[in-house]
Amino acid sequence: MGLLLQLLLTGIAIGCGYALLATGFVFIHRVTRVVNFAQGGFAVIAGFVTYSALAAGLPHGVSEVLAVLAAALVGLVVGVLIIGLRDTPPLAALIMTIGVGFCLWALEVAVWGDQPLQFEGLGGVFAVAGVSIQYQYALIVAVTAATFALLALFFGHSYLGKVFTACASNPYAARLAGIDVRRVGIIAFALGGGLGGLAGVLLLSLRSLTFDSDVDLSINGFAAAIFGGLQRPWLALVGGVVLGIFEQLIAGYSRASYQKAVSLFVILAILVWRAARRREQT
Amino acid sequence: MNAHLDQATSKATGRLTRVRSVGFWAVLLVGVASVAAPPFLDEGQQTIYVLFTLSVIASVGLSLLMGFAGQVSLGQGAFYALGAYTAGLLAKQGAPPPLALLAAPVGTGLIAAAIGLPVLRLRGHYLAFATLAFHLIVLTVIAEARPVTGGDLGLGGIPPLLPAPFATPLVYCYVGWLAAAFVILLTGNLVRSRPGRGLRALASSEVGAASSGVAVGPDKLKVFAISAAYAGLAGGIYAFFLSYLSPGSFPILLSIQFLVMATVGGMGLVWGAVAGAAIITLLLQLLQILASQPGLPETLPAILNYAVYGLVLVLAMLLLPQGILPTLRDRLSRRWPE
Repeated sequence: MGLLLQLLLTGIAIGCGYALLATGFVFIHRVTRVVNFAQGGFAVIAGFVTYSALAAGLPHGVSEVLAVLAAALVGLVVGVLIIGLRDTPPLAALIMTIGVGFCLWALEVAVWGDQPLQFEGLGGVFAVAGVSIQYQYALIVAVTAATFALLALFFGHSYLGKVFTACASNPYAARLAGIDVRRVGIIAFALGGGLGGLAGVLLLSLRSLTFDSDVDLSINGFAAAIFGGLQRPWLALVGGVVLGIFEQLIAGYSRASYQKAVSLFVILAILVWRAARRREQT
Repeated sequence: MNAHLDQATSKATGRLTRVRSVGFWAVLLVGVASVAAPPFLDEGQQTIYVLFTLSVIASVGLSLLMGFAGQVSLGQGAFYALGAYTAGLLAKQGAPPPLALLAAPVGTGLIAAAIGLPVLRLRGHYLAFATLAFHLIVLTVIAEARPVTGGDLGLGGIPPLLPAPFATPLVYCYVGWLAAAFVILLTGNLVRSRPGRGLRALASSEVGAASSGVAVGPDKLKVFAISAAYAGLAGGIYAFFLSYLSPGSFPILLSIQFLVMATVGGMGLVWGAVAGAAIITLLLQLLQILASQPGLPETLPAILNYAVYGLVLVLAMLLLPQGILPTLRDRLSRRWPE
């Protein structure tokens, strides 16, 4: 029973991290229709910046904020490159984000080398109903909850948030209403970069950090985002948590090498089931 | 007025025929050059040539699926792997190699049809995710089915496709060439046929195609299976050529590379995928040569490799978002006034 509880709790926490990555996919896709496969790259850049900032003697907190800002800046540059210079068709844009991913690899290997690095998260453990959980997991859940609350406030109550929603639901009408859809898209990329960076700062202290960690992160983030149809952040949160829980359960009760395949299979099965049910209704 | 219109039309068709005839000569040239080239290449270059023909086969399949049927796949590499393991395992069990090679596309096509039944209910980005997940699942199955596939250690000792005197890289060059030519011809005829026109309609509007009598579901499934069968065929040749397989030879990046090849050359054109495969193969080889120069710092080759590959992808799509061949075709047809 103890093991089950521990796996569930860590699964929820890691799933929250995936959900943060997924929200990056969702916001960028909603406004620009671009599926951004550089999303994992934003997270890895943030991880490396955190590592360097901590190594340079900056305190925790400051380092992480710096890293998230750096990832947002990278997101901004990528946004300008992909949609800022001209209208790129979505498929071409997707290939461009893959190219950006390779460029980020080059940058990371050049600055930080190709050997795995490690940085400290929040140390220590606490006990819940007899099982010990690392503080880092609690931190991930808390930050994710706060981020989702802030995003809900932002989209529901701020002017810029409503501009985002307008661009997402009808870009043409938004342009008629005087909104610069392209600029909003670039801001979406910066926001997506920041969210990816946040996920990286939180998740990557739990695993070793290499330049190609982004493939795994991108796939998980994409899986969670697609659970919400690349449109709905709350469903993406559910998708991320499902993914995280299944990963942990399989790693705990079966073999860690199955965890990726089985958890993706679960998401896939739910998607197919949903599509089938929709078709029967129509 | 009418005469005016006729003149304009004949001018336009004249231009189009001219571009077509340029296309014809270009194809002839490529055909002759690619047949003549292999004997003049050294063994390393012949290996690259073989892998190039295999990339052509797989990316033409992907181009058929994406450009003509409008479905995105991030799992072409998985079908490549399935074809390779089908052929390799059968040949190791004692099946005659040519039969094992034939079984690769057939088996892969059947698997694709089986998974396509549920998965093709998804479309667009959902399908892209499904195929990506499928690739990861296939890799896990291959790595975990150790008694059958050899797991991560790999499957070695696959017999050659043809007996001893013909088991040279040169022969595989022509095997690859023949397979690629067959696939290109088949695809060309397929997209010009009535079902092919139905597919094109499907790519632009599923509802429109369905209401005009295109059997959307079955047609999509068939194209999905054919596209996978191409990848399976390429994988089968790969298995015999290398005589060793491991899951590490078929990473997610392979699927992405096929996607890049099909897109860079020009989606929706059979020859676009060929051009894309040629360009990406040459680029990767150039980078490889650059990286193997002696006296470079340890990580520099990797940095150069990623940076150039990444920049080329970004710039190519920024400058030629429709792909190289379609842009070239439009330029040509504008360049030639009557």
